Amino acid sequence: MNRWNFPDLGIGVGLRTVHFGHILSRRPAVDWFEVLSENFMDTGGHPLWVLDQVAERYPIALHGVSMSIGSTDPLDREYLRKLKSLAARTRARWVSDHLCWTGVAGRNVHDLLPMPYHEEALRHTAARVRQVSEILERPLVLENPSSYVEFASSAMTEWDFLSRLAQEADCGLLLDVNNVYVSSFNHGFDPRVYIDNVPADRVVQYHVAGHTNKGTHILDTHSDHAVAEVWELFRRSCRRTGNVSTLYEWDEDIPDFDVLHAEALKARAYREEPAAPPVRVARGA
Amino acid sequence: MQEVVVHPGSIDEALASKAARAEIPPERLADVVLPSRTLAPAQRVEIYQRMYLLRMEEALGIDYPALQHFLGPRGFRDLVRDYVASFPSRSYTLNRLGDHLPAFVLTAIGRRHRGFCHDLARLELAMTEVFDAVETPTLSAEAVAAVRAEAWATARLRPIAAFRLLALRYPVNAYVQSLRGRGHRHPRPLRKDGWVAVYRRHYGVHRLELSRPAYRLLSELAAGASLGEAVSVAARRPGRSAAGQTQLYRWFREWMSKGLFMGLEGLEPSTNRL
Repeated sequence: MNRWNFPDLGIGVGLRTVHFGHILSRRPAVDWFEVLSENFMDTGGHPLWVLDQVAERYPIALHGVSMSIGSTDPLDREYLRKLKSLAARTRARWVSDHLCWTGVAGRNVHDLLPMPYHEEALRHTAARVRQVSEILERPLVLENPSSYVEFASSAMTEWDFLSRLAQEADCGLLLDVNNVYVSSFNHGFDPRVYIDNVPADRVVQYHVAGHTNKGTHILDTHSDHAVAEVWELFRRSCRRTGNVSTLYEWDEDIPDFDVLHAEALKARAYREEPAAPPVRVARGA
Repeated sequence: MQEVVVHPGSIDEALASKAARAEIPPERLADVVLPSRTLAPAQRVEIYQRMYLLRMEEALGIDYPALQHFLGPRGFRDLVRDYVASFPSRSYTLNRLGDHLPAFVLTAIGRRHRGFCHDLARLELAMTEVFDAVETPTLSAEAVAAVRAEAWATARLRPIAAFRLLALRYPVNAYVQSLRGRGHRHPRPLRKDGWVAVYRRHYGVHRLELSRPAYRLLSELAAGASLGEAVSVAARRPGRSAAGQTQLYRWFREWMSKGLFMGLEGLEPSTNRL
């Protein structure tokens, strides 16, 4: 169990527009839904009406892409006010975003841009995470990003940065095992080392997803079934954390709801295995 | 890095741009970004740069599908590239990225189709605004029936939040409609005046074609005029025939049935029968 006693909601999927009709009419036996915060913060129309219906019937977690927690721009107070309001409206179990920046100098490129991992960035980000948690009146949950660039100025690994950030800012972690795999391919590290060094008691949610292998690099496209290696990382991590709320992400070429749900339910086989500590892979192995 | 990501040219052009150079000269990129086993630093940054315009095009294509269809993939891509260079996103949401596109079209599209594209973009922006507007209650038949006849002249009808009025110079409403049907028999992009109300009913976005007098009357009401003033102003316009009582009745019956109004104001308490 994580340190905040966030519940294991089971296996969920993302709430996507193409499935609105199916979800409202069929009421599928999904354990919970993850909602992309920004899609619902500025609408009073059909999406919000659907979200209200879904939130009546299913547990909800909010997941954002625009907090820009690593940026040097000031935090967007209006954004945070609306995020807090949406969390209250949906009775969100937790609120997550990404360890990244999305723009500087007032601009937003709407991408999850990578950060350098060094002491100054750690202090800067930790202070902002604490601020956000105070404003939201709940611990922020941060997801490890997938990335295509590494900075020469980085003085520590991403998993060390994330672990120290979680401890110093007292935040939760959304561990995306596909992102770990994507970044390990792109940057050439052993993904098992990453998994084994994330603080298990801070993991409150998992993401599993598909990607696109371009040969020279992998793109985190959320457009396919997850590969076996990603499921193996999920299995490995579950042994450390126990069962934690799990979400299957599919955002491009989105299939019928039943296909998506079936892919998500594959997680059952890995989650329900008896917990056994894996052989720890040494750092640098 | 941001200056390189948003640059519309090749990665080499982006790295060599003045804004990027001010941060990192291209020859020093390797001091900042590490190579991978398979990609050089510039190739790694290029992954983000390529995705930027695709993402902007996708977002604007959702809000402006008819304009995208009219311009074709290449024309729309060029428009998006130039537009986001002038109006980059400054918001946490992509929903507002296209707010300046109708005005931008006037400066970016060639003279031949400028007016048509401008009107098309205005109509599609109105549709997205109506889609996202807050839900407001509609005026009930009971509330209307409770108003005494002599009170109507001073009554002000407030339109719902999800309501926009447009006076158009090109047949863009017919163009949007033609995309919904089979065969895509589009109207030609030639001058033809038209008037449209865009509104939301039961969370669906609808378009109602209006006559010029009906548009004029609705415009006055939306601007806050009382019913008496609106009818009077609408009837005063020179060179146009005023609407008769029967026509007015038909219009209001239709507008009420479509839920265009949310409330009545300007009623004296004593003139209301409830």
